[in-house]
Amino acid sequence: MWGFLRTRTCLRYSESLLLHQPWKKNVAFSSFAAVDGRKDLLDLPEIEKVLTEIKADDVKVIPVPKHCDWADFMVLATGRSTWHVKNIAQALIYKAKQKQKGAERMMLPSVQGQAGGKWIVIDSGKVIIHALDEKARAYYNLEGLWTPGTIQHEPDGDIQKALVKVRRKNNSKKPAQKNA
Amino acid sequence: MIQPQTHLNVADNSGARKLMCIRILGASNRRYAYIGDIVVAVIKQAVPNTNLERSEVIRAVIVRTCKQLKRSNGIIIQYDDNAAVVIDQEGNPKGTRIFCAIARELRQLNFTKIVSLAPEVL
Repeated sequence: MWGFLRTRTCLRYSESLLLHQPWKKNVAFSSFAAVDGRKDLLDLPEIEKVLTEIKADDVKVIPVPKHCDWADFMVLATGRSTWHVKNIAQALIYKAKQKQKGAERMMLPSVQGQAGGKWIVIDSGKVIIHALDEKARAYYNLEGLWTPGTIQHEPDGDIQKALVKVRRKNNSKKPAQKNA
Repeated sequence: MIQPQTHLNVADNSGARKLMCIRILGASNRRYAYIGDIVVAVIKQAVPNTNLERSEVIRAVIVRTCKQLKRSNGIIIQYDDNAAVVIDQEGNPKGTRIFCAIARELRQLNFTKIVSLAPEVL
Protein backbone atom coordinates (compact mmCIF):
# COMPACT_ATOMS: atom_id res chain seq x y z
CA MET A 1 0.00 0.00 0.00
CA TRP A 2 2.69 2.49 1.01
CA GLY A 3 5.12 1.71 -1.68
CA PHE A 4 7.28 4.73 -1.00
CA LEU A 5 8.24 3.38 2.39
CA ARG A 6 9.91 0.38 0.95
CA THR A 7 10.96 1.86 -2.34
CA ARG A 8 14.42 0.90 -3.22
CA THR A 9 16.04 2.79 -6.00
CA CYS A 10 18.57 0.92 -8.01
CA LEU A 11 21.27 2.99 -9.55
CA ARG A 12 23.49 0.80 -11.59
CA TYR A 13 26.65 2.32 -12.84
CA SER A 14 27.94 0.69 -15.92
CA GLU A 15 31.12 2.70 -15.92
CA SER A 16 33.24 2.39 -12.82
CA LEU A 17 34.61 5.84 -13.48
CA LEU A 18 31.25 7.33 -12.71
CA LEU A 19 31.38 5.97 -9.18
CA HIS A 20 34.22 8.28 -8.34
CA GLN A 21 32.83 11.27 -10.14
CA PRO A 22 30.03 13.06 -8.42
CA TRP A 23 27.74 13.01 -11.40
CA LYS A 24 26.00 16.19 -10.42
CA LYS A 25 28.50 17.93 -12.63
CA ASN A 26 26.78 16.32 -15.61
CA VAL A 27 29.93 16.27 -17.65
CA ALA A 28 28.85 13.44 -19.86
CA PHE A 29 25.20 14.41 -20.06
CA SER A 30 24.22 15.60 -23.46
CA SER A 31 20.56 16.02 -22.63
CA PHE A 32 21.24 17.92 -19.42
CA ALA A 33 23.70 20.26 -21.04
CA ALA A 34 20.70 22.23 -22.21
CA VAL A 35 19.67 22.86 -18.62
CA ASP A 36 23.15 23.77 -17.52
CA GLY A 37 23.54 26.10 -20.46
CA ARG A 38 20.65 28.11 -19.13
CA LYS A 39 22.55 29.04 -16.03
CA ASP A 40 23.29 32.63 -16.84
CA LEU A 41 19.92 33.57 -18.25
CA LEU A 42 18.96 35.61 -15.22
CA ASP A 43 21.03 36.58 -12.20
CA LEU A 44 19.70 36.94 -8.69
CA PRO A 45 20.12 40.75 -8.47
CA GLU A 46 18.37 41.15 -11.82
CA ILE A 47 15.49 38.97 -10.72
CA GLU A 48 15.12 40.89 -7.49
CA LYS A 49 15.16 44.19 -9.38
CA VAL A 50 12.47 43.02 -11.78
CA LEU A 51 10.34 41.70 -8.94
CA THR A 52 10.54 44.98 -7.01
CA GLU A 53 9.76 46.93 -10.18
CA ILE A 54 6.61 44.93 -10.80
CA LYS A 55 5.66 45.15 -7.12
CA ALA A 56 5.62 41.48 -6.30
CA ASP A 57 4.80 40.93 -2.64
CA ASP A 58 6.81 39.00 -0.11
CA VAL A 59 9.83 38.11 -2.23
CA LYS A 60 11.95 35.43 -0.62
CA VAL A 61 15.24 34.02 -1.83
CA ILE A 62 15.98 30.57 -0.44
CA PRO A 63 19.32 28.87 -1.01
CA VAL A 64 18.59 25.25 -1.84
CA PRO A 65 20.15 22.71 0.56
CA LYS A 66 23.33 21.08 -0.58
CA HIS A 67 22.01 17.58 -1.11
CA CYS A 68 19.67 18.88 -3.80
CA ASP A 69 22.01 19.64 -6.63
CA TRP A 70 19.48 20.51 -9.29
CA ALA A 71 19.27 24.22 -8.44
CA ASP A 72 21.08 26.81 -6.36
CA PHE A 73 18.38 29.28 -5.43
CA MET A 74 14.62 29.33 -5.21
CA VAL A 75 12.91 32.71 -5.44
CA LEU A 76 9.34 32.92 -4.18
CA ALA A 77 7.10 35.84 -5.07
CA THR A 78 3.42 36.47 -4.44
CA GLY A 79 1.12 38.16 -6.92
CA ARG A 80 -2.12 39.83 -5.91
CA SER A 81 -4.20 38.31 -8.69
CA THR A 82 -3.81 35.84 -11.54
CA TRP A 83 -3.08 38.77 -13.87
CA HIS A 84 -0.40 40.02 -11.56
CA VAL A 85 1.18 36.56 -11.35
CA LYS A 86 1.15 36.31 -15.15
CA ASN A 87 2.69 39.79 -15.40
CA ILE A 88 5.51 38.78 -13.07
CA ALA A 89 6.32 35.89 -15.40
CA GLN A 90 6.07 38.12 -18.47
CA ALA A 91 8.39 40.71 -16.94
CA LEU A 92 11.03 38.08 -16.20
CA ILE A 93 10.85 36.66 -19.72
CA TYR A 94 11.10 40.17 -21.13
CA LYS A 95 14.17 40.79 -19.00
CA ALA A 96 15.79 37.60 -20.29
CA LYS A 97 15.04 38.68 -23.85
CA GLN A 98 16.43 42.18 -23.29
CA LYS A 99 19.58 40.73 -21.82
CA GLN A 100 20.29 38.65 -24.90
CA LYS A 101 19.43 41.33 -27.43
CA GLY A 102 21.51 40.97 -30.57
CA ALA A 103 22.53 37.41 -29.85
CA GLU A 104 22.20 34.95 -32.70
CA ARG A 105 20.38 32.37 -30.67
CA MET A 106 18.13 33.47 -27.88
CA MET A 107 17.80 31.14 -24.90
CA LEU A 108 14.58 31.60 -23.02
CA PRO A 109 13.80 30.19 -19.59
CA SER A 110 11.18 27.47 -19.54
CA VAL A 111 7.88 28.65 -18.11
CA GLN A 112 5.22 26.36 -16.70
CA GLY A 113 1.66 27.05 -15.64
CA GLN A 114 1.20 30.26 -17.56
CA ALA A 115 -2.32 29.39 -18.63
CA GLY A 116 -3.61 29.07 -15.08
CA GLY A 117 -1.86 31.95 -13.36
CA LYS A 118 -2.03 30.38 -9.91
CA TRP A 119 1.49 29.02 -9.80
CA ILE A 120 3.99 29.90 -12.51
CA VAL A 121 7.48 28.44 -12.42
CA ILE A 122 10.27 30.10 -14.39
CA ASP A 123 13.17 27.71 -14.66
CA SER A 124 16.27 29.66 -15.61
CA GLY A 125 18.82 26.98 -14.87
CA LYS A 126 20.34 27.41 -11.46
CA VAL A 127 17.75 29.90 -10.21
CA ILE A 128 14.13 28.86 -10.10
CA ILE A 129 11.46 31.49 -9.68
CA HIS A 130 8.05 30.61 -8.30
CA ALA A 131 5.32 33.19 -8.79
CA LEU A 132 2.23 32.21 -6.84
CA ASP A 133 -1.02 33.80 -5.81
CA GLU A 134 -1.70 34.06 -2.09
CA LYS A 135 -3.89 30.97 -1.81
CA ALA A 136 -1.44 28.77 -3.69
CA ARG A 137 1.44 30.03 -1.60
CA ALA A 138 -0.32 29.17 1.62
CA TYR A 139 -1.44 25.80 0.22
CA TYR A 140 1.89 24.54 -1.06
CA ASN A 141 3.99 26.14 1.72
CA LEU A 142 7.19 26.04 -0.29
CA GLU A 143 9.11 28.00 2.34
CA GLY A 144 8.41 25.28 4.88
CA LEU A 145 9.69 22.67 2.49
CA TRP A 146 12.86 24.43 1.47
CA THR A 147 13.94 26.17 4.66
CA PRO A 148 16.80 24.11 6.10
CA GLY A 149 15.97 21.87 9.02
CA THR A 150 12.36 21.23 8.15
CA ILE A 151 12.95 19.00 5.17
CA GLN A 152 13.32 15.75 7.07
CA HIS A 153 10.41 16.36 9.39
CA GLU A 154 7.72 17.38 6.95
CA PRO A 155 7.30 14.09 5.07
CA ASP A 156 7.37 12.14 8.36
CA GLY A 157 4.43 14.09 9.68
CA ASP A 158 2.49 13.47 6.50
CA ILE A 159 3.16 9.76 6.60
CA GLN A 160 2.11 9.47 10.21
CA LYS A 161 -1.03 11.43 9.55
CA ALA A 162 -1.83 9.22 6.60
CA LEU A 163 -1.28 6.02 8.52
CA VAL A 164 -3.86 6.84 11.18
CA LYS A 165 -6.68 4.41 10.71
CA VAL A 166 -10.12 5.92 10.52
CA ARG A 167 -12.89 3.52 11.36
CA ARG A 168 -15.90 3.68 9.14
CA LYS A 169 -19.11 4.81 10.68
CA ASN A 170 -21.69 2.12 10.91
CA ASN A 171 -24.86 3.92 9.98
CA SER A 172 -26.99 0.83 9.71
CA LYS A 173 -27.95 0.65 13.39
CA LYS A 174 -28.64 4.32 14.04
CA PRO A 175 -32.25 4.58 12.86
CA ALA A 176 -33.19 1.46 14.80
CA GLN A 177 -31.85 2.97 18.04
CA LYS A 178 -33.75 6.18 17.40
CA ASN A 179 -36.97 4.29 16.94
CA ALA A 180 -36.45 2.32 20.09
CA MET B 1 5.59 0.53 -19.11
CA ILE B 2 2.21 1.73 -17.94
CA GLN B 3 -0.77 0.73 -20.05
CA PRO B 4 -4.50 0.91 -19.48
CA GLN B 5 -5.59 -1.28 -16.53
CA THR B 6 -2.21 -0.88 -14.80
CA HIS B 7 -2.56 -0.18 -11.09
CA LEU B 8 -0.38 2.64 -9.76
CA ASN B 9 0.61 3.78 -6.31
CA VAL B 10 0.29 7.45 -5.46
CA ALA B 11 3.47 9.27 -4.52
CA ASP B 12 1.93 12.40 -2.98
CA ASN B 13 -0.38 13.46 -0.17
CA SER B 14 -3.35 14.28 -2.39
CA GLY B 15 -5.55 11.68 -0.70
CA ALA B 16 -5.65 9.01 -3.39
CA ARG B 17 -3.90 5.75 -2.63
CA LYS B 18 -4.30 3.56 -5.69
CA LEU B 19 -4.93 4.56 -9.27
CA MET B 20 -5.74 2.58 -12.34
CA CYS B 21 -4.54 3.91 -15.67
CA ILE B 22 -7.33 4.13 -18.22
CA ARG B 23 -5.74 6.16 -21.02
CA ILE B 24 -2.32 7.45 -22.02
CA LEU B 25 -2.28 10.96 -23.41
CA GLY B 26 -0.17 11.84 -26.40
CA ALA B 27 -0.54 10.02 -29.68
CA SER B 28 -3.78 8.38 -30.77
CA ASN B 29 -2.81 4.77 -30.25
CA ARG B 30 -0.07 5.00 -27.71
CA ARG B 31 0.76 1.72 -25.99
CA TYR B 32 2.89 2.50 -22.98
CA ALA B 33 3.64 5.41 -20.66
CA TYR B 34 7.02 5.91 -19.03
CA ILE B 35 8.38 8.35 -16.46
CA GLY B 36 7.15 11.86 -17.19
CA ASP B 37 4.10 10.90 -19.24
CA ILE B 38 0.59 12.04 -18.39
CA VAL B 39 -2.09 9.40 -18.04
CA VAL B 40 -5.80 9.55 -17.32
CA ALA B 41 -6.51 7.40 -14.30
CA VAL B 42 -9.36 6.41 -12.04
CA ILE B 43 -8.99 6.38 -8.27
CA LYS B 44 -9.40 2.86 -6.96
CA GLN B 45 -8.71 3.58 -3.32
CA ALA B 46 -8.64 6.86 -1.42
CA VAL B 47 -7.89 8.08 2.08
CA PRO B 48 -11.18 8.82 3.89
CA ASN B 49 -12.22 12.45 4.47
CA THR B 50 -10.13 13.95 1.67
CA ASN B 51 -10.99 15.89 -1.44
CA LEU B 52 -10.48 12.98 -3.79
CA GLU B 53 -12.88 10.09 -3.80
CA ARG B 54 -13.00 6.58 -5.11
CA SER B 55 -13.98 6.19 -8.79
CA GLU B 56 -13.07 9.78 -9.62
CA VAL B 57 -11.31 10.31 -12.94
CA ILE B 58 -8.12 12.38 -12.70
CA ARG B 59 -4.89 13.06 -14.53
CA ALA B 60 -1.58 11.86 -13.20
CA VAL B 61 2.11 12.05 -14.08
CA ILE B 62 4.16 8.86 -13.88
CA VAL B 63 7.11 9.34 -11.50
CA ARG B 64 8.34 5.81 -10.81
CA THR B 65 8.31 2.77 -13.05
CA CYS B 66 9.50 -0.81 -12.69
CA LYS B 67 10.74 -0.50 -16.25
CA GLN B 68 14.29 0.78 -16.31
CA LEU B 69 14.99 4.37 -17.27
CA LYS B 70 18.22 4.59 -19.21
CA ARG B 71 20.33 7.69 -19.49
CA SER B 72 22.79 8.47 -22.20
CA ASN B 73 25.74 8.18 -19.81
CA GLY B 74 24.90 4.61 -18.87
CA ILE B 75 23.02 5.15 -15.63
CA ILE B 76 19.95 2.99 -15.24
CA ILE B 77 17.21 3.90 -12.76
CA GLN B 78 14.69 1.28 -11.78
CA TYR B 79 12.13 1.41 -8.99
CA ASP B 80 10.27 -1.34 -7.20
CA ASP B 81 6.80 -0.12 -8.06
CA ASN B 82 4.84 2.03 -10.44
CA ALA B 83 3.73 5.34 -9.01
CA ALA B 84 2.15 8.58 -10.15
CA VAL B 85 1.42 12.09 -8.89
CA VAL B 86 -2.09 13.48 -9.22
CA ILE B 87 -2.29 16.74 -11.19
CA ASP B 88 -5.12 18.95 -12.40
CA GLN B 89 -5.80 20.18 -15.92
CA GLU B 90 -3.35 23.06 -15.58
CA GLY B 91 -0.53 20.80 -14.42
CA ASN B 92 -0.54 21.87 -10.78
CA PRO B 93 -0.10 18.96 -8.38
CA LYS B 94 -3.15 18.24 -6.17
CA GLY B 95 -1.02 17.26 -3.20
CA THR B 96 1.43 19.54 -1.46
CA ARG B 97 4.27 17.09 -0.80
CA ILE B 98 5.79 14.26 -2.77
CA PHE B 99 7.34 11.24 -1.09
CA CYS B 100 10.01 9.70 -3.17
CA ALA B 101 13.21 10.31 -5.00
CA ILE B 102 12.33 11.65 -8.42
CA ALA B 103 14.25 11.40 -11.67
CA ARG B 104 15.55 14.67 -13.00
CA GLU B 105 14.12 13.91 -16.42
CA LEU B 106 10.87 15.33 -15.07
CA ARG B 107 12.43 18.76 -15.09
CA GLN B 108 13.21 18.55 -18.78
CA LEU B 109 9.66 17.40 -19.40
CA ASN B 110 8.31 20.60 -17.81
CA PHE B 111 7.27 19.22 -14.45
CA THR B 112 9.46 21.58 -12.40
CA LYS B 113 6.59 22.00 -9.95
CA ILE B 114 6.68 18.32 -9.07
CA VAL B 115 10.48 18.35 -8.90
CA SER B 116 10.46 21.34 -6.55
CA LEU B 117 8.09 19.55 -4.15
CA ALA B 118 10.13 16.36 -4.09
CA PRO B 119 12.51 15.57 -1.22
CA GLU B 120 15.26 14.25 -3.45
CA VAL B 121 16.15 14.38 -7.10
CA LEU B 122 18.08 11.55 -8.68
